[in-house]
Amino acid sequence: MPTLTIDGQEVTVDAGTTVIQAAEQIGINIPRYCYHPGLSLAGRCRMCLVEIETFPNLQIACYTRAQDEMVVSTTSERVLSARQSMLEFLLSNHPLDCPVCDQSGECDLQNFYMDHGQYQSRFLENKVKKKKAFPIGPHVILDQERCILCTRCVRFTEEVSKSNELGVFNRGSRSVIDLYPTKSLDNPYSGNVIDICPVGALTEREFRFKCRVWYLASQESICTGCSRGCNISLDYNGSRRAYKAGGRRVMRIKPRYNPDINKWWICDEGRFGYGFIDTDRIETPMQRTTSDLEPSDWDPALARVAETVKAAYSEKGANGVGVIVSPQLSNEELLACRELFVEKMKLTNVAALNPWEEPGEADDFLRNADRNPNTKGVEDLGYSGDAKAVLEKAAEGEIEVLIIFRHNLADGEAGKLLEKAKFVVYVGTNWNATAERAHVVLPGATHAEKDGTFTNFEGRVQRFKQALLPIGDSRNDSQIISEMAAKLGYSLPASADEIFEAWKGISLDELSGSGSSVDPDTAVQA
Amino acid sequence: MSASFEFTPENKKRFEEILRRYPTKRAAMLPSLHLTQEQEGYISPEAEQYIADLLEVPVVDVREVVSFYTMFTRNPLGKHHIRVCESLSCWVRGSDEVKETLEKELGVESGGITEDGEYSWEVIPDCLGACELAPMLQLDGYFEGNLTREKVVELLKKQAASKTSGK
Ligand code: SF4
Repeated sequence: MPTLTIDGQEVTVDAGTTVIQAAEQIGINIPRYCYHPGLSLAGRCRMCLVEIETFPNLQIACYTRAQDEMVVSTTSERVLSARQSMLEFLLSNHPLDCPVCDQSGECDLQNFYMDHGQYQSRFLENKVKKKKAFPIGPHVILDQERCILCTRCVRFTEEVSKSNELGVFNRGSRSVIDLYPTKSLDNPYSGNVIDICPVGALTEREFRFKCRVWYLASQESICTGCSRGCNISLDYNGSRRAYKAGGRRVMRIKPRYNPDINKWWICDEGRFGYGFIDTDRIETPMQRTTSDLEPSDWDPALARVAETVKAAYSEKGANGVGVIVSPQLSNEELLACRELFVEKMKLTNVAALNPWEEPGEADDFLRNADRNPNTKGVEDLGYSGDAKAVLEKAAEGEIEVLIIFRHNLADGEAGKLLEKAKFVVYVGTNWNATAERAHVVLPGATHAEKDGTFTNFEGRVQRFKQALLPIGDSRNDSQIISEMAAKLGYSLPASADEIFEAWKGISLDELSGSGSSVDPDTAVQA
Repeated sequence: MSASFEFTPENKKRFEEILRRYPTKRAAMLPSLHLTQEQEGYISPEAEQYIADLLEVPVVDVREVVSFYTMFTRNPLGKHHIRVCESLSCWVRGSDEVKETLEKELGVESGGITEDGEYSWEVIPDCLGACELAPMLQLDGYFEGNLTREKVVELLKKQAASKTSGK
């Protein structure tokens, strides 16, 4: 294990560690464009030049391996002047169209220029013109003039998505990034090139011109697109209403580094699957009075649920009420349901999984066929049996009241059974055919609007944090369950934190404090 | 010039020999492309795909190489191909005049091909490596230097004459 000195600080690193990584370990961030920890080394941008004693020339820190007794400076005069010169080169053909560039505010050309720029331009020549702002796939726009040819995007398509759509064509100042003619950047992971492009050359079609990045706030979350549980950041309108976003609150999703699960990446389905958070939401409780569903206050809606449940219970006992929880619910909500429906009310017809659900696309990288974030949580918390048996009993009239969380069970065979159910309570976030045919609809909160944990398919319990207030009158599901319990004469905690602590013996903050997810082997067991 | 591309039986043998000289297939990219261009005169998208399949690399990698080197061309060329150096030395010593003369004499712009298919010519922005001959051009690979308008006209005449006198 070599021990080297970087800017006067000693650091011992594993053999094979590069200088740029060694510096990172002691909190020194060497400017870079082409280097990305998830991609092969390119050594193209020359931004990470450092001075190493006994080496006559500056060395690129991304490629140079740390050696014993190396003495490295990342701030010497030679290094600083090299950075300034490299930036001058990189910017010589850059259009400097920051005012109309989406990357502004999170652009490494801007960032490094603030520290190392030359400020007084010496460039009198004409800039090379290239193709500007054209779509190269369903999600990505390329601006060749802004590109600094770091080739991160090309290496991503070679090494990570293995789809090989992009290349560097031509030579010298006329070099461009482009698609191979007959191709389109439409692989299932295409959005990642937007994140790794250090400049404004690759921008997101969905996000372009919707919001300046400095108005965004960001919260740590977990993708709900499948059972992988990729770590994400929800970027949402923070300090200002985005006036072009049509009232949308969540503006984009970015992957959040987790070495054990998704590394730096997420799939496009997860990245662009946030629409449901702000569209077609159930915003108030609803009750069917005559034939139509009409908005209601929480109290009467919950009271009606409680009355019907009590009546069914006194008539048929524990068989009279059926519950279908969902692998879309958090562990805390599943625990609350278990406590109320299984432990307290001793209901016999409680199920969780929808046997009719269409599996999603799966591959050997991130995407799992199970489109639910918490199927493993459902299993770990002891739910068994699927919705079919419960629906059948509801159709036969054995179950008087059926409480459905999240699922859409209104199509095909399920729909035919559901039609015959006597009284349906729907607890969910978005309008669907099941909600439309329920007798009482209770609006729940999406994962963006509450705290909680999901257990991914490997058994990692991962926390997602609240970014937004529940839309309209909707409420956090564990609060809904707690209030429903109160009306039925039981007392249940309403906050996810309390439920989690009672479950795992640590607080949610302690769980997420580790920065990544809990390893299934070392995790506190349920 | 067919839509599909395949090495001739003889070139297939040469390709196998080329492969043997390199530790990996990918490393045989340049000589394989030279062979392709020698056979067909240019490198078509179909030929790119053919080489990519042979070398087991993504086709985009082949295009990267073809577009990087000015010695490869992606368009069909005339029987005789002229490449005019436009790098610094040649430009200073009058490559503009060479360009103008060719355009006038051949009646096509750089990148074009004469109607009879005899000539094509192009400007090469990167140095062709013969600054001592500036301004210079390459005719079918041979250097012609210290050019003036007159010399270019003469060169074309000589070439045409050698044609009619028969090979
Ligand atoms: S488009 Fe962006 S990521 Fe790709 S080479 Fe250019 S600067 Fe790098």
